[in-house]
Amino acid sequence: MSLSRRSLLGALAVAVPSFALSGCATPAPDRAADIGMPGDLLPERVRMVIPYAEGGGTDVWARFLAPRLTDAMEVPCRILPDNLPGGESIIGSNRYARENVSDGSSFLITSGTTHYQYMLGRPEVEFDFAAMRPLLVNAGGGVIYGSAEAGVRGIDDLFSGNTRLRYGGISATGLDLTALLAFDVLKLDVTTVFGLEGRGPARLAVERGELNIDYQTSSAYKTQIVPLAEQGRATPLMSFGQLESDGSVSTDPALSDLPTVREVYRDAYGEDPSGPAWDAYRAFLGAGVTYQKGMWITAETPDSVVQPFFDATRRLQQDEAFQEESAKVLGGYPIYAGDEVDEVRSVLTLSPEVRAYVLDLLATRHRTVIRGA
Amino acid sequence: MIDAALTALSGLAEPSMLLALATGVLAGLVLGLIPGLGGTGAMAVLLPFVFLLDTGQAIALVIGAAAVIHTSDTISTVLLGIPGSASSSVLLLDGHAMAKQGQASRALSVAFISSAIGGLVGAIGLTLSVAVAGPLVLLFGSPELFMMTVLGISLASLLSRGNVAKGLVAACFGLLLGSIGVAPTSAEYRYTFGSLFLAEGLDIVAVALGVFGLAEILALVARRTSVAQKMALGSGWGQGVRDVMTHWTHVLRGSLVGIWAGILPGVGATAGSWLAYGQAVATSKDKRRFGKGDPRGVAAPEGASNSISAGDLIPTLLFGIPGSAAAALLLGALLVFGVEPGPSLLTNDLDVVYTIVWSFAIAAVLGAALCFLLASPLARLSFVRFPVLAAGLIVLMFTSAFQAAQEFGVLQIMLLLGVVGWLMKVCDYPRAPFLIGFVLSIPLERYYFLTTSLYAPAEWMTRPAVLVMAALLAAPLAVRLVKKVVAARRTPVSGTDAGAGVPTGGTGDAGTGDEREGTERTGGVSTLTTGDGSPAGPDGTGGADGPDGATPGPAQAEPSPFTGTRWPLGTAVFFAVVFAFGLLTSTGFSESGRLMPQLAGGAGLALALLVVITEWRRLRGAAPAGDAWKGEVRAIASAFVWLCAYLLLTWVLGTVLAALLFVPVFLHVVARMRPVGIAIYTVAVVGFILTIKFAADMAVPLGWFTPGFLL
Repeated sequence: MSLSRRSLLGALAVAVPSFALSGCATPAPDRAADIGMPGDLLPERVRMVIPYAEGGGTDVWARFLAPRLTDAMEVPCRILPDNLPGGESIIGSNRYARENVSDGSSFLITSGTTHYQYMLGRPEVEFDFAAMRPLLVNAGGGVIYGSAEAGVRGIDDLFSGNTRLRYGGISATGLDLTALLAFDVLKLDVTTVFGLEGRGPARLAVERGELNIDYQTSSAYKTQIVPLAEQGRATPLMSFGQLESDGSVSTDPALSDLPTVREVYRDAYGEDPSGPAWDAYRAFLGAGVTYQKGMWITAETPDSVVQPFFDATRRLQQDEAFQEESAKVLGGYPIYAGDEVDEVRSVLTLSPEVRAYVLDLLATRHRTVIRGA
Repeated sequence: MIDAALTALSGLAEPSMLLALATGVLAGLVLGLIPGLGGTGAMAVLLPFVFLLDTGQAIALVIGAAAVIHTSDTISTVLLGIPGSASSSVLLLDGHAMAKQGQASRALSVAFISSAIGGLVGAIGLTLSVAVAGPLVLLFGSPELFMMTVLGISLASLLSRGNVAKGLVAACFGLLLGSIGVAPTSAEYRYTFGSLFLAEGLDIVAVALGVFGLAEILALVARRTSVAQKMALGSGWGQGVRDVMTHWTHVLRGSLVGIWAGILPGVGATAGSWLAYGQAVATSKDKRRFGKGDPRGVAAPEGASNSISAGDLIPTLLFGIPGSAAAALLLGALLVFGVEPGPSLLTNDLDVVYTIVWSFAIAAVLGAALCFLLASPLARLSFVRFPVLAAGLIVLMFTSAFQAAQEFGVLQIMLLLGVVGWLMKVCDYPRAPFLIGFVLSIPLERYYFLTTSLYAPAEWMTRPAVLVMAALLAAPLAVRLVKKVVAARRTPVSGTDAGAGVPTGGTGDAGTGDEREGTERTGGVSTLTTGDGSPAGPDGTGGADGPDGATPGPAQAEPSPFTGTRWPLGTAVFFAVVFAFGLLTSTGFSESGRLMPQLAGGAGLALALLVVITEWRRLRGAAPAGDAWKGEVRAIASAFVWLCAYLLLTWVLGTVLAALLFVPVFLHVVARMRPVGIAIYTVAVVGFILTIKFAADMAVPLGWFTPGFLL
């Protein structure tokens, strides 16, 4: 024994604390069996990576759908939710991409916020929608409304210049961006402030009259804003609309009584909107509203593994009990199987010109500079 | 209305509902017992069931857990000095002090009764206010919430009586640490140094478990003694009941503060408990016993702990804004069943509201009763040698801290915070202000920016609630100023600086009065900490009897062996370096992202330098220290190496195998247990980890070489 006990302990006392101080990557042990081969079957236990917090809108959406999907499958399967929230959903999505499993043993839940981080080209993003395929897609919808008490009593108040418009958001790079781009299309002069904790607090701030223009999802609009509007306190203004596959913007079927951003523009300026602002709005409308929520899986996953998801989705589309049960959670928007919506990947691909336009808008109008993008 | 209430009650009498409620209560109690697991743990365990049950059962299940998590989390805080949850860390001050004096039973008895009363008050408050709270919540805008956070942070000075400079250093450190992560207003990452997992900021569980829990483990493992230093188990339960009867107003006031803290979105359970404690201290005439085992310091925050969960349900139900993990779970459950939160809930689904209220009241009482049964045997834990407990605690705490971010780096940060917490403990830095600064850092920043960008200064500063809170802030300062004026008049020769400060400070507005008082108080502290408080500080002779003359300061139960060594000076320098580094790094942030880190860093640096000077003077004047501290440092270093070894094992093998190796070796070498005990203990710990991993689907740290069957 050349080493004395004392010096061994001494070495340990140096080595171990230095380990404690160093930043170590979170261990991700290899799963050798995770590469899928053509003809493989869907595993019986499938992990569902949810990059959003427990109890939030996207989490409830995913946890609501998962057991109904597996019930509609012909093969036995259990979906195990795994929440990895944070960093505008980049953290969990990166983790999924890094694992790179293609045997179907895990898939990723995405929402508009996830899509936006990818489209904006944030340097932290490691996941790539070009390297994934959609299993299921569900639309969302949104309504822009104003506070009657704080000076927004109708569409005209937006354009008259008499009312100082104040919008509060969570983060300029999240779903708020849809509203910001709509304001940009309409050439509205809106003062923006960020840092609110969620859409709920934003709604409260509107009720208090601190803010006077805001947007809510279709379901929150129906339960929270419509009662306020009936009391004459809120003014529903317009819906985001839905992106059609030919790139046009159509009326939101769940909000058919509201004009879309396009119609409001035409009424105000006498022509259809066009130009870079309109291109940017439509790009983010597709990614954040029309294809808002999705289930995605590694692109190399064999067809035999993903087919049960497509089949189950089609069965649910026909199931009237499901339609009824899901009306509130899904906001009245249909679900599509991944093989029915091939255009979704091109929707998530942003042209360099549009990205440059949006980054410039964020920096100059909303004091938000994205480093490295 | 009464009809709906009775219908809901008879609905709850159904066996399936009672079963769901009891299951929720049991899950909440067990998870609350494990340090740090409470909220997120309950979420992970109960969430899958919510999607299987029907509406009423799911509500009973979730409410059952929500109503008791903050009852059982008290147990480990009081008995072991390891916070059962971030919000129960407030009980470390008085509850744990009582346990150390052998009065664990009394402290727990006070805690459980107060907690049950708090739950009932919360349920009643929920019933009464759910119809009227809407407008009240709307009255509280960003300016009010901003003042509320300022009021919370001002508690820091109250909670560090006699040690204000160090208390404020700790608070600034908390503010700075709290600003790690994405900035609320500018979408930029601060102090993350390229680590994305820091984007969401440090998790409160990891921070509280590190600074309080691991610090305790570091300090106590080495000593090989038990928590309680005196034997006085047994009769405490009755004494606790009498304490509650004597101090019933504190229980009630704590409960009311709790409801209010719960109703306001953005305050949170941790800040709410501290506010309840703060009001108890502020409104008590005799403050001397606080922090040394005063039952009032247990009754008030425990009364609040459950009523916060009740108050929290109001924004959840009326506005769909959950303020806690459990409320978010409830909201999710309601959404799945098509029950939409909102004012319409009161007209369309009143039975749901009453099911919630009744479930809450029943669960709160049931939880407290079960805790009484549970706590009698558990109280004996405070008489078990600490190293025996530590083996399991180390495994459990690191597993709990892993839950939120699920990143290994969090565990390393928690270990470092454990060392910082230990330094703060031995060098007399109060850790309560640190935690308050940490939890209020982002809310302070958020509401400051919202307030200033949505209101003109004249507009928000004149709002009635803002003025009331400003008066609350200024009142104690004004009282002290008046006292100083009186004192200065009586002895016109001494106290020249106090006399100079009075004329302008007394007539000026609250803002300048605040600043002035701040500097005066810190000045006062520098004399306090240099020695006996006589004005003879600077010449060094007055400081010579420092350790003996410490009576006017906080009475130290156990004199630190580090008094008179270079350690206090080193710790002050450490803080100064941290603040300087924070300031330097913040120059790269955007204009809005920079403000709060620079305020915290700048104030912290100035205060830390002040402490450096004081400590240096004190060191120069102090009698040479004995060698006791060397033994202490050796013991801490060895405890630290053990913790590192556990982390290293986890990193290589994963938690299950690491526990399988670490627990028996630690029990044999450090705790010197017998082989049979070691075997049973190890099987229990590993069994528990396997249960939460495979039965409850919780995340457990994996290692690079974790075998496939444990993934």
